[in-house]
Amino acid sequence: MLISLCVLIFVEPNLIINTMIDQSKNVVSLCINLLAIYAVWLGILEIVDQSGLGDKLAKLLSPVIKKLFKINDEEQIKYVSYNLSSNLLGLGNAATPSGIKAIKSMEKDLKHTKFAMLMLLVINSTGIQLLPTTIIGLRASAGSSSPSDIILPIIISSVVATTISVLLLFAYKKIKKI
Amino acid sequence: MSAYIIPIILIVLIVYGVYKKVNVYSAFCQGAKSSFDLVKGIFPYIVAIMICVALFRASGLGTLLVQFLSPLFNVLGIPNEVCELVLLKPFTGSGSISILEDIISRYGADSYISRCACTIMGSSETVFYVSAVYFAGSKQKISPAIIISLLGGVMSAVLGCLLCRII
Repeated sequence: MLISLCVLIFVEPNLIINTMIDQSKNVVSLCINLLAIYAVWLGILEIVDQSGLGDKLAKLLSPVIKKLFKINDEEQIKYVSYNLSSNLLGLGNAATPSGIKAIKSMEKDLKHTKFAMLMLLVINSTGIQLLPTTIIGLRASAGSSSPSDIILPIIISSVVATTISVLLLFAYKKIKKI
Repeated sequence: MSAYIIPIILIVLIVYGVYKKVNVYSAFCQGAKSSFDLVKGIFPYIVAIMICVALFRASGLGTLLVQFLSPLFNVLGIPNEVCELVLLKPFTGSGSISILEDIISRYGADSYISRCACTIMGSSETVFYVSAVYFAGSKQKISPAIIISLLGGVMSAVLGCLLCRII
């Protein structure tokens, strides 16, 4: 940020404060959107939680999660399993609130969850998506002859990249011993 | 088809809740209420990160980085036209969508270039945004995870472009 600022002072000094305020406005409207989206998904998540379905899902996914994330806490496993399953369904908007809750709950127990937090970030930011709806929509509206033939390359490349990233993180864990 | 999946999941979830005698209405409200705290918590961190990103682009350093890295990406099989997208994707979701729209309208939806661009768009995430949101207020050091995620993004771009050529 400092480097960008220094460059800007020489190039266009009056751009600085405008850019900052414009972007801040963007974030305010983004946050209002997020407020609406999270309200819907957190509401639904609460229903899932209270109906006991969440615990079942957590139980189903816990062998995988325990191996990948090295966590044992039930609450953490539950939030991570919400996060992973909504990611797989392409519900990025539902994945984020549950991901934040997972991180918050891991924060309480920093000694054992350092690795899990990194893993959650890596998996969420390499993003496996089974149904890239936005992109298919874009292609369809641009007059593509078969808008959905992009799904296969997307799935293959994201699965491979995520797998390699996860392996890299495991390698990092071994070297650094966290 | 895909338009039905999410509504069906929602109906199943709510019906299951009713079946389990959950007070669906109050549960929903309770969950929705926590949305305020969540957004309030992440707001300052998104503002900070997004301002950094905007300054980085406005200063022209972004373009400089694209020029600097595109020969390297060409060697890896990523066409010149989509290099900007690969490099911008980690920083901004809306910005990269507009680049994608631009590419599609310029080269046509079924061209090799746009197929590459779509694959890149679909197979990676906005790393810096995700990390700002998830780790809002956390003191945990996350730089190794960010580096690995960025590497993962480049890998999926290389692989995506390769696959677009074959399939």
